[in-house]
Amino acid sequence: MQREEKQLDAALEALLQRINDLKTSIRTLLFRLENEYASLSWPSFLDSYAVISGQMNTLLKVMKNDKTPLLRNLIVLPLVLSPDPDEELKQATEGRVVAFSHDITPDMLRTKPDPDVEQRQNQFEQRASQVPPETAQKQINALNKVVNHVLEQITHSREDWENEATVRAAAAQTCVTADTHTLIAAVGLGKNLKTLPIAAPAQPGPGRAQAGPAPGKTTSTIKTTIKAASQVHPYNR
Amino acid sequence: MTFGFSVELDRHKKKWMTGQSRLFKKMASNQNPISAIDMLTSALRSNIIPNQEYLLQGSVIDSSAEVLHNRLRGLCDAAETGPETFHDHEMCFSLKASSPGGTPQQQQSFLLRVRRALDHPEYPWQLRYLGQPELGEKNQPTVLRSCIDIACTPNVVEFLSELGCRIEFEYVLKGYLFRKGRMKVTMSKIFRMGQAKSPDSLEAMTGSYLVELSLLAPSGQDAVADEIKVFAEQLRPLVHLEKIDYRRLQSYS
Repeated sequence: MQREEKQLDAALEALLQRINDLKTSIRTLLFRLENEYASLSWPSFLDSYAVISGQMNTLLKVMKNDKTPLLRNLIVLPLVLSPDPDEELKQATEGRVVAFSHDITPDMLRTKPDPDVEQRQNQFEQRASQVPPETAQKQINALNKVVNHVLEQITHSREDWENEATVRAAAAQTCVTADTHTLIAAVGLGKNLKTLPIAAPAQPGPGRAQAGPAPGKTTSTIKTTIKAASQVHPYNR
Repeated sequence: MTFGFSVELDRHKKKWMTGQSRLFKKMASNQNPISAIDMLTSALRSNIIPNQEYLLQGSVIDSSAEVLHNRLRGLCDAAETGPETFHDHEMCFSLKASSPGGTPQQQQSFLLRVRRALDHPEYPWQLRYLGQPELGEKNQPTVLRSCIDIACTPNVVEFLSELGCRIEFEYVLKGYLFRKGRMKVTMSKIFRMGQAKSPDSLEAMTGSYLVELSLLAPSGQDAVADEIKVFAEQLRPLVHLEKIDYRRLQSYS
């Protein structure tokens, strides 16, 4: 029993959370409709609807969750009805329900739909029962066909658009990284450009800049180059 | 190819050259023969010699090269006269310099590049030293390397071999040169020299043009790197100019 109670509490918590989220998104949508109706665009409106539909989805999932006890088997029973304002109730409902009195209880704890909604539903049910089953079956088949057709159209268009995007991206490839590396290695290091059979890999040495200017330093470099030349001569000549 | 640039380099070289002519006069008057060194070291110290190259490199495949060419024509200076084409032959010589007191294995070598214009044989040849490229931090937009260019006569090859330089590799470049302000953009196709070593037996290395965006400036003027970055952004979807460390490429294969 206690376990079930705990489960029930947890489930109610989760439901409450989801419902609060749903409430906020509906509120934002109404706000936008009222205040920004001039600047509202259909896609952004659809986005808000998508948010609401997503939240309803999660709500239903929570209700269908295995851990949730069967809410259908439970009833909500008002224990005490009093016309006095209840502070806790006020806070819990953000000032909407001031007192748990006799007139609002039927509305709050109602399980049947609204009277006009109930009436329309009855009308539909009457019309549906009047249709003979064969015509009903035929109509169902026709509807299925139309819906499938529309679905096919949409998927084809989506594939075409995606293909276009990828083709454009592929055609736009104007540089090949491998070529870049080959060219730069060739120019910088002489890779693949060896002319001599005794090819020592070219190593750019540490920065000894002076190959020309700065005669102040030229004297020392000339000395070293002369030294190097005299040393290397036998091998080069 | 560099001689299209004498206009920009003149401003810097003039300052340097006037220093030199002054020192020649002084030497002629025999006042102070050591002042030549003083003049040049002061020129170096006052940081007016453009010896740093800010560089970005990339490539574009041949089929899109035309598009890039047109875009560069639109973006760069001198659109009416059209871009300059060049056809150069570059040879790289390496000079091994053994460090004093070091064993022969510790020899360090550095590269000297000699470039000649094949389409204009009367132009002077160019001797160039390029230092190690520094890629720097992530927020340094360009590769920075020291670069020294000298004009010379055609017997520089003989001179370098007399000095003990060995030719490491050579290649032929053919392409277009664009200028924007102080920046230089080149689109070049690199060709390998054929076995017969004649200009006819050329084979292209890859199916792409090498695109280089560079600027020569005295060291310390890092604001120009941002100019280069801005320009590179304008070529963005066609060619991605970026910092490429070719020393790492050596280790890849």
